[in-house]
Amino acid sequence: MEKLLTFIGMGLATYLTRYTMIAALGQEMPPLLRRWLRYVPPAALAALIAPAALAPRGHLEFGIQAGAVMAGAVIAWRTRSVPGAILGGMAIFWIWKALGL
Amino acid sequence: MRDFRRGLLATLPLAPGVVAFGLLYGVMARQVGFSPWDAWAMSLIVHAGSAQFTALGMWRDAGAIPIILTTLVINLRHLLMGASVAPYLRRLSPPWKALLALWMSDESYALTIAEYERSRGSHRYFLGANVGIYLLWPTSGLVGALLGTAIPDPSRYGLDLVFPLAFLGLLTAFLKDRISVTVALVAGGLALLGARLLPGSWYVVMAGLLGSGVGVLLEEVMGIWRNF
Repeated sequence: MEKLLTFIGMGLATYLTRYTMIAALGQEMPPLLRRWLRYVPPAALAALIAPAALAPRGHLEFGIQAGAVMAGAVIAWRTRSVPGAILGGMAIFWIWKALGL
Repeated sequence: MRDFRRGLLATLPLAPGVVAFGLLYGVMARQVGFSPWDAWAMSLIVHAGSAQFTALGMWRDAGAIPIILTTLVINLRHLLMGASVAPYLRRLSPPWKALLALWMSDESYALTIAEYERSRGSHRYFLGANVGIYLLWPTSGLVGALLGTAIPDPSRYGLDLVFPLAFLGLLTAFLKDRISVTVALVAGGLALLGARLLPGSWYVVMAGLLGSGVGVLLEEVMGIWRNF
């Protein structure tokens, strides 16, 4: 029972972070805020990518992950395709691994 | 309905990553003493991977309140994501907004905002992407918990790369000029720094806010330059 209550608390906390801005930024927005928000997606996506690619274990390293993600970046840039980026990056990872580099 | 299906199907390429981490979550949940149903219930109710992994890590030593507060802090990045989709959802009814917020994940947000950027987005696409991830995450957690045996680290198979690779594919939608490229580079650099120095996922909030701020700043500077 206490477990379930904790889960519900966690669920409410999570929902709060997801709902607040969607509800609050409903109507007219100052132009400056809107311009700012236009740059949030590229900034947030880059912020999610960089540590996962370049510091997967918490410290900066240019190993197999970085190589695969760099290759994925080239594919993403050329094809603009999500499946393409995933398949291409993973293929590089597996080939790299198979070759034992 | 077509948009809903498009959003749902767009999550398929991400499935190997979601499932790999879902299985791992289920196995780890058993190790801290959860039943498979506990593991399933947490995923169904919370539906936030990084917060759930952190909660498992705290489970034996921390009480409910610290775990709930940590969940809140880890998910603060959703404030930023919610703010950036909010302009597109302005005209929706309150129930629609409440529904779309419910299962908004990093992945479904990223798919949806890129679709809006390409002028193909809709709230039905958003719902489809939300549902797609929601079908995968709790189910794979339950399966992992039922298997209960050690599952190899997803990073051994490069499955931890599914998310950064997908986000890269989506990022390209936003790289339209020198300013947006600069924003992405600055945010990436700040995130690397922040991931080392800041706890939890604060680095996403910090890099997201500052990186996008740099974009507006550059717009201003270039505007002044042109009018000089």
